[in-house]
Amino acid sequence: MELGPIWRALLRNKTSYVLIALQIAVTMAIMVNAISIIQERSQKMARPSGVDEENIFHLSSNIFDPDADFEAQIAADLDAIRTFPGVQNAVVSNSVPLLNGGWSEDVRLEPDPDLDATGVALFFADEHGIDTFGLNLIAGRSFNPNEADWTDGESDAWPPVTIITVAMAEELFPDIALPDVVGKTVYVHQTLPVTIIGVTERMQAAWNSWSGVERSMLVPQKRAVSYNRYIIRSEPGYRDEIMPQIEEMLATIYDKRIIRGVATMEETRRKSYLQDSAMVKMLFFVVAVLIGITGLGIVGLASFSVARRTRQIGTRRALGASRLAILRYFMLENFVISTVGVAGGAIIAVGINIWMVEAFGLQRIAWYLIPAAMLTLWLVGQLAVYGPARRATMVSPALATRTV
Amino acid sequence: MLSMQDISKVYRTDTVETHALRQFSLDVDEGDFVSVTGPSGSGKTTFLNIAGLLEEFSSGTFELDGRNVAGLNDNDRSGLRNEKIGFIFQSFNLIPELDIFDNVDVPLRYRGFNATERKKRIDRVLETVGLGSRSKHLPSQLSGGQQQRAAIARALAGEPRFLLADEPTGNLDSHMADSVMDLLTEINKEGTTIVMVTHEASLASRAHRNIFVLDGHVSTNEPDLHLAAKSA
Amino acid sequence: MFRYYLKLGLSSIRKNPMLSALMVAAIATGIGAYMTIINVDYVMSGNPIPNKSDVLFHVQVDNWDPNNAYDEPNEPPVQVTYLDGSALLAAGKARRQVLSYKTGRVIEPEQEGERPFRALSRSTSADFFAMFDTPFLFGGGWDKAADNNEEYVVVIDSEINERVFGGENSVGRSLVMNGDRYRVVGVMDVWQPMPKFYDVNNGPFDEGEDVFLPLSVSVANEFHSWGNNSCWKPDGGDWAGRLTGECIWLQFWVELHGESERQDYMAFLNAYVETQKALGRFPRPMNNRLTNVMEWMEDRKVVAKDVNVLKGLAFLFLIVCLLNTIGLLLAKVTRRAGDISLRRALGASRKAVFSQYIIEAGVIGLAGGLLGVGMTWLGLQGIKGLYSDFDFITRLVAMDWPVILATIALAIVSALAAALYPTWRACGIHPASQLKAL
Repeated sequence: MELGPIWRALLRNKTSYVLIALQIAVTMAIMVNAISIIQERSQKMARPSGVDEENIFHLSSNIFDPDADFEAQIAADLDAIRTFPGVQNAVVSNSVPLLNGGWSEDVRLEPDPDLDATGVALFFADEHGIDTFGLNLIAGRSFNPNEADWTDGESDAWPPVTIITVAMAEELFPDIALPDVVGKTVYVHQTLPVTIIGVTERMQAAWNSWSGVERSMLVPQKRAVSYNRYIIRSEPGYRDEIMPQIEEMLATIYDKRIIRGVATMEETRRKSYLQDSAMVKMLFFVVAVLIGITGLGIVGLASFSVARRTRQIGTRRALGASRLAILRYFMLENFVISTVGVAGGAIIAVGINIWMVEAFGLQRIAWYLIPAAMLTLWLVGQLAVYGPARRATMVSPALATRTV
Repeated sequence: MLSMQDISKVYRTDTVETHALRQFSLDVDEGDFVSVTGPSGSGKTTFLNIAGLLEEFSSGTFELDGRNVAGLNDNDRSGLRNEKIGFIFQSFNLIPELDIFDNVDVPLRYRGFNATERKKRIDRVLETVGLGSRSKHLPSQLSGGQQQRAAIARALAGEPRFLLADEPTGNLDSHMADSVMDLLTEINKEGTTIVMVTHEASLASRAHRNIFVLDGHVSTNEPDLHLAAKSA
Repeated sequence: MFRYYLKLGLSSIRKNPMLSALMVAAIATGIGAYMTIINVDYVMSGNPIPNKSDVLFHVQVDNWDPNNAYDEPNEPPVQVTYLDGSALLAAGKARRQVLSYKTGRVIEPEQEGERPFRALSRSTSADFFAMFDTPFLFGGGWDKAADNNEEYVVVIDSEINERVFGGENSVGRSLVMNGDRYRVVGVMDVWQPMPKFYDVNNGPFDEGEDVFLPLSVSVANEFHSWGNNSCWKPDGGDWAGRLTGECIWLQFWVELHGESERQDYMAFLNAYVETQKALGRFPRPMNNRLTNVMEWMEDRKVVAKDVNVLKGLAFLFLIVCLLNTIGLLLAKVTRRAGDISLRRALGASRKAVFSQYIIEAGVIGLAGGLLGVGMTWLGLQGIKGLYSDFDFITRLVAMDWPVILATIALAIVSALAAALYPTWRACGIHPASQLKAL
């Protein structure tokens, strides 16, 4: 191993090697931060919404006859949907998880408007809600048939009971066991009391980037207004078949309304995370191209570096170096350069990350990304230099005696 | 110590066959100082490459230090070169990015000596050639004569069985050439075998004996070296 | 001499095809990636209304919760209540002012066999069209009298005009929406400011509205907002409460020319808030804002954070590509040391050597730039594919001439910058120093 002489030789001819090292360093910095972002987004996208995404679809119904009997029509619609073959259950609501548009409320532990409030997403539902959304009720009970009232959307009336998610319970009552949260009272609209009658495991809000995305509450209310969303859960396997059928059916049984936005829950999720998903793909692409460019650059520079030193290679061979020794020399030389590069790269990577955390609120990189990136770039460098290094071994020792 | 019997070297291309060496025979004993001369194109360089195990030969026998080198693979030949032969090249062939110490070090690394052993040997040979104080200099900082002496040190460091010199003073002025030849003579007196290839008669005359090569063959018609020197 | 160097440069490129190709590819890729993001950023943060962006101001007053700011640290709400908006509108203290909100209607075509369809709508006061310079194909907006008289007038866009009236001049014709009959007073030409600066709170990159109707009519008929609606205090839940409560759901803009008009209006806002405080409203300290278009979009961070992150990474990517280029150029120069030395020996000055290699680098840069334009186009297509759900993206991926020229210019400048060090090294090669090696 000729570490000493290699190092000393590199120091004497710094420039081109510094360029490679710098390239490796900046590549590493980009790689580490890009992968960190990919990780962050992937984790974000992997979170379950809490509802039965495989079988749920939803649509909006907009009745444009101002004199229509909204309550009767909606009730008739729900009836028709629930009895449709292939449908497991349905509710009328305002939104679904990850829809990007929804309602939120401020909830307090006391009827005191000066107290800090906790924001929560709310979803209207009736006694069919838990089954339609496919929620997992882990404490308390679901709504009774008489608990979900109709409202014309004009009054402040609010039902006295609610079902909340575990996250909401933990936020409001951090020190109380879940079963004991059932029965507690909280206050909406500053002073209206609402009793918690049940706790579900999980139901995400409509906004996937909201810090309170896991805090939701079900409100037993049916709104007799012109614009509503029907949430429909199909029996397993029937979803795609019945979606167009239900849309057709609703248009047929009443024509003074517009059915729009028929979408599966899976489609809603896809749209919700479109930006994150695109970002992940773009970053993967950037990292791949980057490694490609750096790799090719090293191949180019190494080829040149070998070609420049054929006389030296011939001399070494004449002096007794085996082919393997020549290969080792160039692989080792590249390794030393890469080491300088990744060492610098680690520093730059952390520096850039600190700046990006400051400027864009990104997350800090996980420590293991640095050694992982180092290993990758070492490997890339060695792979890149292998070709030129092998060509170097083919230089004939007789080159040494050839007169210039 | 070095014994070549009827060595032939044929270069074949698609169209032409060149016999660089034909029935070439040479015996060199230990402690000998042999010069190999001949006009350009006579096959001197081919002989040099074969003697130095830098090239393979087409037929004949070559025994180096009692060992038949026919059919040896590349690794074996490299190892043999490393242990047995000390090269001195016309254009020095020092590695420009390395200082003198590291240059002399190169063959020792391939030998596998540890650091202490290497340092001991390098210091010793640099003293021998008179470059003890210049071990940290770069080749570009030395004169031609000093560079060749560094190359000689490199050749000696591994205690080779013989030195193989290719026109060792070809790139030097007459003053430096003399001092290098003095050094070689000195080394030979200490017991090291030297085989020197040259086209200069004045150089050849400093060896113990001379082999004249013509058309790839050892010529029986040896020219008068002194006459050749006068007309040069 | 330029043409001679050009010839030399081209022949040198041909003699080192692999090296040159690598250099061109590196530049093209780096430039392509960088310009793709820059293009997206440029379109997203471009000035949507350049000739008026500094005279249009978004108005904010702080009617929010005494215990919690609307947004940390002390930002006022981004929309206004009907109570405040209508009061400010009625006061008319600015050169022009407009109050509007996003809603939706269902158009019921009167032709046989045509089915009703949804129309995205904006309920607005009369000044909208003059203030925002909306282009018209036929007719125009309505006037203040129409506003006051709650006339059922409507401005439709060209697509609706095509669909319902076959593209004719439909001014004066009637349009039925949700059972009500409106009279068309204007047909707007295609108008899609990017972003929709006048309502960035409710979908800044959404499609433009299909119809515009008077605020007074919407309010009288209780057309609910389809945009965001936030309250810190319940408003009673009914429409009356909507109009008198503290819930914010409208946008209020004013047009002010010059600093003195701006200051006057600010003073007026302060005075208005004082009167409201006297009535027991506005419990928070005075916090009025007048922000012009560009400032407002900056404030609302319309350009996604992701775009900025990508800008940073793309720039670093460009740096890597340039380092690559410098290295390869250095390799090329070193390989050609003999040639350079010979030329110097034959009388070329340092400047001549410099010029020769800089021009060669320029040619590489040009090639890289042209290829880079292609790569940018590809990159934009890729982005279009990734965001295919969003309609506005198709508008984002159009490359116009300034971008194309900028791409080529950036490539040439980068190549020249990358060439500086290697070329300087080339000049330093001594005449005849390499000749022995030739």
